[in-house]
Amino acid sequence: MSDPVLHASGVCKSFGGLKAVQGFGVSLQGGDLKGLIGPNGAGKTTVFNLLTGVYTPDEGKITLAGRSIAGIRPSRIAAQGMARTFQNIRLFGELSVLDNVKLARHVRVKHGMWASVLRTPASYAEEAEIDAKARELLALFDLADRAEEQGKNLPYGDQRRLEIARALATNPKVLLLDEPAAGMNPQEKKELRDLIRRVRDEFKTAILLIEHDMGLVMEICERITVLDYGKTIAEGTPQEIQANPKVIEAYLGTGDTGEEGDQKPEAARA
Amino acid sequence: MSGANLQPGLHRPSTPAAIVRAWAPVLGCLVLAIVMQLVVGPLLVRMGQDFAAKLLLDIGTNAILAVSLTMVNGFTGQFSIGHAAFMAVGGYVAAGITYYGSYRLFGSPDLAAGMLSTSTGAGSGLFTKGDGLFLGSIFAGGLVAAGCGYLVGLPSLRLKGDYLAIVTLGFGEIVRVLIQTQTTDTLYDPDTIAQTPAWELPKYLGGALGFSGLPSYTSLFWAWLFAALTILVAYRIKASTYGRAFLSIREDEIASEAMGVDTTRYKVRAFTISAFFAGCAGALFAHTVGVQLNAGELGFAKSFDIIIMVVLGGMGSISGAFFAAIILTILPELLRNVAEYRMVAYATALILMMLVRPEGLLGVREIWEKRTWRAIARIGRRGTP
Amino acid sequence: MTEKLIQTLMDGLAVGSLYALIALGYTMVYGILKFINFAHSDVFVLGAWMSYTVALCAGWPDGQPTHMATWVLLLLVGIAVAGGLVAGFTYWRRKRIAPAAYTLWLVSGWGWVAVLLVLLARLLHQNGFDIIAGGVILVCSMLTCGVVGFALERLAYKPLRNAPRLNVLITAIGVSLFLQNLGQLDWMFGTRPQGMPQLLPDKVLFNFAGTPGANPGEWLVQPVRVRLLDVIAAGTSIALMVGLDRLVFHSKLGRAMRAVSFSERNAALMGIPVDKVVSFTFVLGAMLAAAAGFLYSQKYPGLGQTAAAVWVLLGLKAFVAAVVGGIGNIRGAMLGGLLIGLAEMFVKAYQSPSVVDIYVFGILIAVLLVRPGGLLGKATVEKV
Repeated sequence: MSDPVLHASGVCKSFGGLKAVQGFGVSLQGGDLKGLIGPNGAGKTTVFNLLTGVYTPDEGKITLAGRSIAGIRPSRIAAQGMARTFQNIRLFGELSVLDNVKLARHVRVKHGMWASVLRTPASYAEEAEIDAKARELLALFDLADRAEEQGKNLPYGDQRRLEIARALATNPKVLLLDEPAAGMNPQEKKELRDLIRRVRDEFKTAILLIEHDMGLVMEICERITVLDYGKTIAEGTPQEIQANPKVIEAYLGTGDTGEEGDQKPEAARA
Repeated sequence: MSGANLQPGLHRPSTPAAIVRAWAPVLGCLVLAIVMQLVVGPLLVRMGQDFAAKLLLDIGTNAILAVSLTMVNGFTGQFSIGHAAFMAVGGYVAAGITYYGSYRLFGSPDLAAGMLSTSTGAGSGLFTKGDGLFLGSIFAGGLVAAGCGYLVGLPSLRLKGDYLAIVTLGFGEIVRVLIQTQTTDTLYDPDTIAQTPAWELPKYLGGALGFSGLPSYTSLFWAWLFAALTILVAYRIKASTYGRAFLSIREDEIASEAMGVDTTRYKVRAFTISAFFAGCAGALFAHTVGVQLNAGELGFAKSFDIIIMVVLGGMGSISGAFFAAIILTILPELLRNVAEYRMVAYATALILMMLVRPEGLLGVREIWEKRTWRAIARIGRRGTP
Repeated sequence: MTEKLIQTLMDGLAVGSLYALIALGYTMVYGILKFINFAHSDVFVLGAWMSYTVALCAGWPDGQPTHMATWVLLLLVGIAVAGGLVAGFTYWRRKRIAPAAYTLWLVSGWGWVAVLLVLLARLLHQNGFDIIAGGVILVCSMLTCGVVGFALERLAYKPLRNAPRLNVLITAIGVSLFLQNLGQLDWMFGTRPQGMPQLLPDKVLFNFAGTPGANPGEWLVQPVRVRLLDVIAAGTSIALMVGLDRLVFHSKLGRAMRAVSFSERNAALMGIPVDKVVSFTFVLGAMLAAAAGFLYSQKYPGLGQTAAAVWVLLGLKAFVAAVVGGIGNIRGAMLGGLLIGLAEMFVKAYQSPSVVDIYVFGILIAVLLVRPGGLLGKATVEKV
C-alpha cells in the first residue's frame, strides 16, 4: 500500500474550556471518498478548519503528502495540495464566475508580479493556460455559459458547484467538501452525487465530505467517520456505521433506546 | 479581463509579437506625455489658457494619487486613510535631493532643465542633467515612500478593516509631526551647503514653515508620464492573475487564503506599490510651480480628498478613479464663487453616494469593459439603475 | 521634582477625563453598531461652539454674536411645521399620523426646551448666578448636540444598518467632513476663531508643596496648583461617567443596549426596540461629547474654526483612547482616556509639546500590535 496522501492523528483543539476536537485521526489515499458525519456542533467544521490551517491544532500530527502541515498558514497548505469548500458559501461575489475559478489557479502560477506588469512572454503563456484550464473546469461543471456572470448572481445550486470547481482548480491532492448538498433539491443532489464521483475518478483526488444528507453519504462514501462532541465515536463502512449502536445513540440521544438498534441514522436527520 | 480574450492557441506566443504587445503601451505613455508637454501645453498657453495648463498638470498628479490609492482601497479592500503621508515622504525626499543636489552639482538651486521639464517648454535641449537629477529624485522619493508603505502594511498581519485604517491614520500623523518638528531652517548659502556633510542636510527641510525655494521641474511631461505609467501598471496588475489575487482578498479574505493566496503578503505588497506611486506623486507635487512643500497641508484633509476620488469613482475601478480625479480637480475651480460650500457639497455627495450607490460610479468595472456599457444601456432603457 | 510630577499627574487626569468623555461616545456606537463614528469628534466640536453660541445668546458680552441663534429658532419652527405637515398629510391620506411626525415634533420640542434653557441662563446671568448659568448652558449644549446625534443616526447611518462596514465608515467620514465644513459657513460659526467667555470661575484653589521664594508670590520650586476649573471639569466628567456606568450596567435600558451590542438580530427577536436603543446610544454619546466640548472650551477658551486641524486631532486622540482601552468596552474607554491624557501631559511636561502626537499614535500602534482588541477589549475572530 502506498503512503496516505493525507494523514492526521491525535489532533486536538480546545476553545477555552470547550474541547472541540479530541484525538481526531484520518487517513486518505488518492481516490478515497470518505464521509465525516455527526450531529450539529460535533466539531466537523472545526476538523476542516484544523486540516486547512484556519486553526492551529493544540496537539497532534497532520501530514499532507508526507509533509507536516500542522501550524502553517492556510495559503501554504493550499499550495501543498489541500482545497476546500465552505459550509456558508464563500465565493468572490463581485468577480465573474470565470475569474473565481481563474483565481484558484493563482497558487500554481510561476511568474512573478513584475513579469505580469511587464507582460513577459512567460506571463502571457501562463495566463492563457489559466484561462484554458478554468474554462475546461467550468465546462465540466456545466457553468460554461455562465462564465461572465458575477458569482453572487448565480442560483444557489450553481454557487455550490462553482465552489467545488474553484477548489478543484487549485489542483488539490485532497478536497474537503463542507456540506455541498445543503439547500439543494433532490434533483440537484442527484447531480451532485454523480459530480463528486466523477471528480474523484477523473482527478484522482482524495475527498473528505461533511454532509447531513445521510442518503448521499451512505451512497457515495466508502468509509465514514462519526464525530460526537469532538470525539470520534465510530469509523467504518456505511453498513457498519448504520448498525453501530453508538452512532444511533449520538443521533437519537441516550435513554431507553436499546430497542431501536435497527433504526438507521438516516431517520434522525433534521 | 485580458486573459479572457486569449485563445488557447496562444500557449506559446511568438516572442517578438509578445514583446511588442508588452512594450508598445509603455512607448504610448511616453508619446502621450511628450504630446501633452510639447503640443497641448503650448497650445493652451497660446490660447491664453495658462490656468488650464496648470490644471492639466494638477490632474496628472491627482490621477497618480487616486489610482495608486485604488490599489489598496479598491483592489484589496483595505482602507488606508493616510495616503497623503506617503505623498509627503516622497515629496520631502525628492525635494531634499533636488534642492541640495542642485547646489552641490550645479552650484545653485535654479532650474537646470531641458524642454521637457519647464512649464513653458523652452528649456535648453531636450533632456539635461537637471532632468536626470529630477527623475532620480522622483524614484528615490517613490522608493522611500514604498519602504514606509511596507512598514504600514506590516500591521495588516494582525489588524483588519477599521483598525488598519486607524493605523494608517496614525502613521500619517506621525509623519506630519516628525517633519513639522524639525528645524525651520533651510540652507541657502552655497558655501555652507558645500561644507555641511551630506547626512546632515536632511535636517534642513523647512520644518513647520514649509520647504520653499524648490526648483519647479514638474511639467506636463513628467506629470502625465507618471500618471500614464501608474495607470498602465495598475491596469496590468488588475488584469493579471495577481489582480485577481488582490480582488479576492477584498471579496472574501478567508476564501482567498484557502485558495492559496497569501493574503498578508499581498496586502503588504499592495501597500508598498501604492505608496511608491504616492511618493512619486509627492515628488511631482513638490516641484510644481507655486507650491510650497508643507507637511501641514499633507495631513488627513489631503488624504480624505484622495479617498473621495476613489470612492466616487468606484472602489477598484482604475478608470473611475482617473475620471474622479479629473472632475474633482476641475470642480473646485468652477465652484470658486461658492468655495466655502465646496467641501459641504463633497461631503454630501459622499454620503449620498453611500446611500444610493455604495460601490461608486463604476464599481469595480472599467470604462472600457463591455459589461459597463451593458449596464449603462440598461439604465437608459429602464430609466433606473 | 515631586511637585512637577504631581502637577503633571493632575493635569493629565483632568485632560484625560475629557478624552474619556469623548471616547465613550466612540466606544458606545462601536459596541452597538460595530463601526467607527468618525463624526463623533465633530459633535464634540459642535458642543464647544454651541456652548459659545448659547453663552452669547444668554448675554455674555465678549465676542461677536453669530447668526446661529436666529437660524436655530427658524429651524425649530420649521421642523415643528414640517412635523405638522407630515401629520396632516398622512392623516388626510391614510387616516393615521405617521411616526415621522412624532419624531419631528420630538426634535422640535427638544429644541424649544433648549431655547427655554437659554432664556433661563440669561436670567441667571443677569442676576449674577454665573456658575448656575454655566451649568444651564452645559445642559443646553448637551441637549442640542443630542438632537444632532439623533438626526445624524436617523438620516445617515440608519439606512446603512446592514451595509458593509466599509460603506458605513466612508459615510461616517462624509458626515464628519459635512459637519466640519458646515460649521465654517458664515451663517453658522464662521471661519474666525472666537474666544469663549469664562462661564465657570477659574482660580487656584490652593497650592501645596513647592519652595517659596523671598517675596510673596515668588517660588523657587513651583508648587502644585489645584485649579477650580480642573476640579469642576474632572468632577463633571467623573459624575457623568459614573452615571453612564450605572445606566449601562444597572438599568433596563442599559441591559437593552448590551443586548443589542451582543446581537442586534437576537435582541430584536426578544422584543427589544433596536432602533430606539441605537438612537438613544447616539444621543447619549453626543451629549457626553457636548459636555466634553463645553468643559474643554472653558479650559482652553480659544475656539478654532470647526475644521481646524487642532479639533480634528483632539477628536482623533479621544478616538485613539477608545481604541487603546478596547473599543466597544465602556470601562476601557475611560481607562484609555485617562491613559492618553496622562501620556500627553507627561510628554508635554518632560519632553516637548510638539511631539505629543507621535507618542499618542505610537501608543496606539504598539497597543494594537500587542493586543489587537485593545487593553480591555476582546479580539474578534471571524467565524469560518
